[in-house]
Parts: sequence; C-alpha cells; structure tokens
Amino acid sequence: MFRILKKSLKTGIVTGQHPAAASTVDASTPAAKDKAKPFRSSLAFRAVDTGSCNACEMEMNALANPVYDIERFGIHIAASPRHADALVVTGPVTVNMEQALKDVYEQTPDPKIVIALGDCAINCGVFKGSYAVTGPVERHIPVDLRIPGCPPRPVTILNALQELREGTGFHKD
Amino acid sequence: MAETRSCDEELKAAFPSIVQDDAAQEEFSHFLVSKDLLPAITRYLHTQPGLQGRLTVLWAVDNRPIHDTHGLHYLFTLEPSHRWVLLSTELAGGDRFFPSITPHIHAAQWYEREIRDMFGLIPQGHPDLRRLIRHEHWPKGTHPLKKDFSWDRVLGRQQGEHRFRRIEGEGVFEVPVGPIHAGIIEPGHFRFSVAGEPIMELELHHFWKHRGVEKLFEQQALTAAVPLAERVSGDTTIGHSLAYCQAVESLMHLEVPRRGRYLRSLFLELERLHNHLGDVGAICNDTAYALPHAHCGRMKEQIMQLNDRLTGSRFLRGVNRVGGVAMDLTAVQLAEIGDELDRIEKDFSELESIIASNASLIDRLETTGVLTKRTARDHAVVGVVGRASGLDQDLRRDRPFAAYDELPVNVVTYRYGDVRARMRVRMDEIHESMRLVGEIRLKMPQGPIAVKPSHRTQTGDWALSAVEGWRGEILYMVMAGENGTIHRCKVRDPSFANWPAIQQAVLGNIIPDFPLINKSFSLSYAGNDL
Repeated sequence: MFRILKKSLKTGIVTGQHPAAASTVDASTPAAKDKAKPFRSSLAFRAVDTGSCNACEMEMNALANPVYDIERFGIHIAASPRHADALVVTGPVTVNMEQALKDVYEQTPDPKIVIALGDCAINCGVFKGSYAVTGPVERHIPVDLRIPGCPPRPVTILNALQELREGTGFHKD
Repeated sequence: MAETRSCDEELKAAFPSIVQDDAAQEEFSHFLVSKDLLPAITRYLHTQPGLQGRLTVLWAVDNRPIHDTHGLHYLFTLEPSHRWVLLSTELAGGDRFFPSITPHIHAAQWYEREIRDMFGLIPQGHPDLRRLIRHEHWPKGTHPLKKDFSWDRVLGRQQGEHRFRRIEGEGVFEVPVGPIHAGIIEPGHFRFSVAGEPIMELELHHFWKHRGVEKLFEQQALTAAVPLAERVSGDTTIGHSLAYCQAVESLMHLEVPRRGRYLRSLFLELERLHNHLGDVGAICNDTAYALPHAHCGRMKEQIMQLNDRLTGSRFLRGVNRVGGVAMDLTAVQLAEIGDELDRIEKDFSELESIIASNASLIDRLETTGVLTKRTARDHAVVGVVGRASGLDQDLRRDRPFAAYDELPVNVVTYRYGDVRARMRVRMDEIHESMRLVGEIRLKMPQGPIAVKPSHRTQTGDWALSAVEGWRGEILYMVMAGENGTIHRCKVRDPSFANWPAIQQAVLGNIIPDFPLINKSFSLSYAGNDL
C-alpha cells in the first residue's frame, strides 16, 4: 500500500508532458464544426480499423495514457458503435472489411461524425491500388474530418479533435 | 560444423534420391526433393530425435516468366543445432497438386491453406480446405500471387458464408466476437463454443486486414520497398524493415558497416522496450488492475518520445535502409539514451515489485491460458510465447544478425506457459534489453553507417533473412526479378505462427479470461493478415 502511494507521489503529475504539435493548421471545415456542436462537452468515439498497420491504433491508445489523458476533455472511447457519437476510421478499407465498415456506420446513431485518421484512411497510403483494398474511407461512407499523418502523433489527433469541437486546442507553451 | 555435416549425411543416407544444392552450404543445407517424397522426408526431419525439425516457414513461388513452374519451399530449423534445412520441390506448369504435410506436421496447416488461396495449388490430404485469406465473398479462381493476376485488379463479390466448426449438444452455445472489438484493437473474429463458462472450442476467423502486401512488394524496386516493409505491422517497424533490408543486402552481397549494425541492434532493442512495456501494462489492465497500466503507459510514452527526439519518428520509421541505417546518433544522443533508460529501468523495477506483491493479480495470471511445451512445439510457436512455454529459442543468440554476434544475449525462458510466464518473460526481457543497450553504447564503434546499394542482382536469385523482433522471429524471403525488381517477397510475421496456438491455450478457461490470454500472446493482426 505504502509502496503504491510512494510511487504515485514520486511520479507526480505527468499529464501534458509531451512536445507541442508541429503544425497548428485547423483541419475542420465549418460544416464539420457545425455537425460537432452537440458534442462540445462530451464526445464518445468508436475506433474502427479497416486494415491499418496498427500504428494509428497505438497512437489512439496512447491518447488514453496519463500523458495525454484524453478523458479530461470529455472524450471517451465507446465500446460499441451504438454508444458512439463519432467513428474514427483507420486503414485503407480492405475488401474483407468493407461490409463491416458499412454495417458499423449504419449502427451508429445519428447525428454522427466520421473521422478518417491517418494517411491510409484518407488516400490508402502505401496500400493504394492493391487488389485487396477498396478505399479510401470516403468512397464508402461520408467523412467529416481528416487527420493526416503516418501515423499522426497523439498530440495532433488531440488538437484536431479539440478544434473540431471549437475548443481551444491544446498547444503547450 | 561437423555436427551439421552429419545431419546432412544422415538425411542423404535415409533418402538417397534427394539432391543437395551445395551453393547454399554456408548458411543452411538445401535439398531438392521430388514432391512424392515430401511427406516422408518432412516427417523424418520433424520426428527424428537427433533432428527435431521445426517447420519455420513454408512458401510457394510462381516462377513464371523465368520457368513455367511453381516452386515450393519448406524451411526447417533443427532444434539441437539451430541449423536451417531447406527442402525445395517444383511443380511443373499445369500441375496444381502437391501432397499435404499437415497430417503429421500440424504447424503446416495455415501455410498450406495460404498457398491454396494465393496460388490455387491444392494440398492433397489436407484435413481442412476451407478458405483462409480469401473470405467466402471473393470470386472463384482469384489467386492473387499468381503472375497472371494483376496487382490492381478490382475484385467482384459472390455469395458465400464462412462455415465454422460446430459443436453440438445440450447446453452448448456459440459466442461470436468481432471482427470489430470493444477496445482500440485490430479486427479479427473469434468463435467460441461454450457450455456454461468454460471454453470448449475456439475457432479463429482472421485475415480481415489482408491488404495484398506480398503482391505490393512485387510492384516495387528492391531498394525502394523499405517503407512498405515498415508498414507490414506498424508496431514492428524496425523488425520488419531490418529483416527486409538484410535479405536484400545478402542478394546484393553488401556488407553493412559495423557502426550501422550496432545502430540497428540499438533501435531493435528500443522497439522491443516500448512494446514490452505496453504489453506488461495491458496484461495488468485486462485484470482490471489499472495502476500498472498507467505507469507502463507513461514509461512507454517516454521511450516513444525518445524515439521521436532521436529519429523524428515515434515508431522509428525511416531508420533502416538497404545498405545500413539512414541516420547516425551523436555521442550526446547516446548519452541521452543511457540517462533516459537508466531512469526508466529504476522506475520499472519499483513497479515490478508492486506488481509482484499483488496476490490477487498473480492469482488471476497463474494457471490461466496454459500452453504446454508439447503443444507449443507442435504448433511451431516462436518468440515470447514459445519462451514462456519452455522453448529455448532466440535468433539473437541462435543465428546472430546485426551486431548480436558481438553482443551475447541472455535468453529468458519459463516453463509453465501461463499468462504469468508470458508476462515474466517480457519483464525479464525489458531488463535484458536495457542491459544490451548499455553494452551497445559502450562498444559503439566509429565509422560509416551505411554502404551504397549496388543495383546488380541476378534474376531469380533469392535470399532468406531472419530477425528476432519483439514478438518473435520475423522471416523474409526476397527473390529478385528483372532489373532490380522484386519477383516474390514472402513475409512471415511471428503472429502467423502463433495465432493457431491460442486456440489450444484457451481451452477449459472461461470466456472472461480470453482477453487476458489474448493480450498475453499480444499478436499482430496486420502482420498475420498481410
């Protein structure tokens, strides 16, 4: 017990101990921001991997660690599309995942936002043209926000989500 | 060497009709065999007590347009000597059949189904010829790795549904899970058959993420495909790019400078560290013990930020290139790595004692998801999972690559094969990696970090390369095509070897323990599905 307390006290607060985002370009369109209005104080998103290399997933998981701590902005990761306000889609949409992606989109209640995360979801990246790839994501479902990068850094994702909700964004001084 | 010779002689004495290809003598023994002999000779290799061959990888090549044949290649690792034995056979143009070795070598089951899907060659006698990679909605006759299949072909759809193995009886019901899971995880489908809580049967239905990676390699030049190799499985950027680069380097007869090899080992250990740290935390988190998860997440983040400062990429992308590494580290950076890792090791040791003293956690991990040594060997399991089940194998020691010929590695093994053993292997390997990084820093030689790649490769030449990534052994076979292109690139992520074993490890466990067992295996879907 004391060991645990000592460890926590020694560690202190690590939230925010990360480099600032390289670019501060606001990727959200006014239409997307309008759509995101109901989710300003709380946003539950569901991650859907349609064939990424797993790096985008790792960066999304990193958002939940104590350094980025995404929940302090009211952003949660929903376990089911039926509980989600937004879908975060990664990967170039493989032939095998195409139907699953469409099903998930159908199952997500309106109003909903679709976010294409990473270069693969936006333009298929290095997998472009392959027989097994049917993407990008916007070929199958409407996309509201694109977050480029291979993979985008966690702080970039965080900023994009904040700007979408017309929050202040998170830039470290 | 004398011992390895005797293996070759033994094999030749038992099967007088096989022909040894002497060109490959140094690296491994290569035999050309007729296809009818395959079942007998593979069985001999696998079961003979002095040989104990483990099927390491099995791949096919469509040799057109060079020859009108299909090549089949079976690579075995002889456990006592760690020597490789490669058996090759050729199927003439119109011949679509080859004898299955799955009935006596269980580990071949997925490889043979993969060959059937990708090349349309039929393994005769295979007990399960359902589709593996091509889901049932793929049209008939689509075999993407055949040379007459265009890489950018648009596939149609047909009707079809996967037939799962059925267990029937009173009170037996099925639980389907996936492809889309509750956490931020890759897609895969698991079909459980349960009666009450315990799992009676688990069947995997994977390959949702199949992106046609091996076909995409064939569209690239030998020197230009490193970014694709980095994205086979994003968490193993260094492991995959290193294995690819090594294969191409041996095709081009390049000697990577010593400093380049040391840097490669350094980056490989950094990759191992951040992944192992994440896994230890995630295993604890799957028992709802969130504290170590938070601490491990923090330490993992520190290493990824260190990666970012050193190379400009949190995943170490763009580090490897054919001929060496693309970026050097200054003495100041090496010192920074040392300071950072010393701090994290102390931090982690404190956390370890917190984890070890939590009786309820240990109780949950012990005897959960046991993979016995026998089952692990039958499935030819590799890497962390194998070492936790008592298989003493690590390519860094057994077939040294990069700088490991000068860096002795202490291989960690545990006997019990449960979730705790797999976590303990990772914890011990974290310390071992920290020690190795320290040794690399001390021994780091001066000099160039890369050589210029030559562009002279012989059409039809091929090379094998193996790297012990953080999950286990990664294998690449690269075959040169005309004018420095790739004719065939076979990628074998450790996940492909380990996934089927999870079906055995969960038996008798309860479904709520499945996520924990799955996490302790920590396999890649992207690397498996390709």
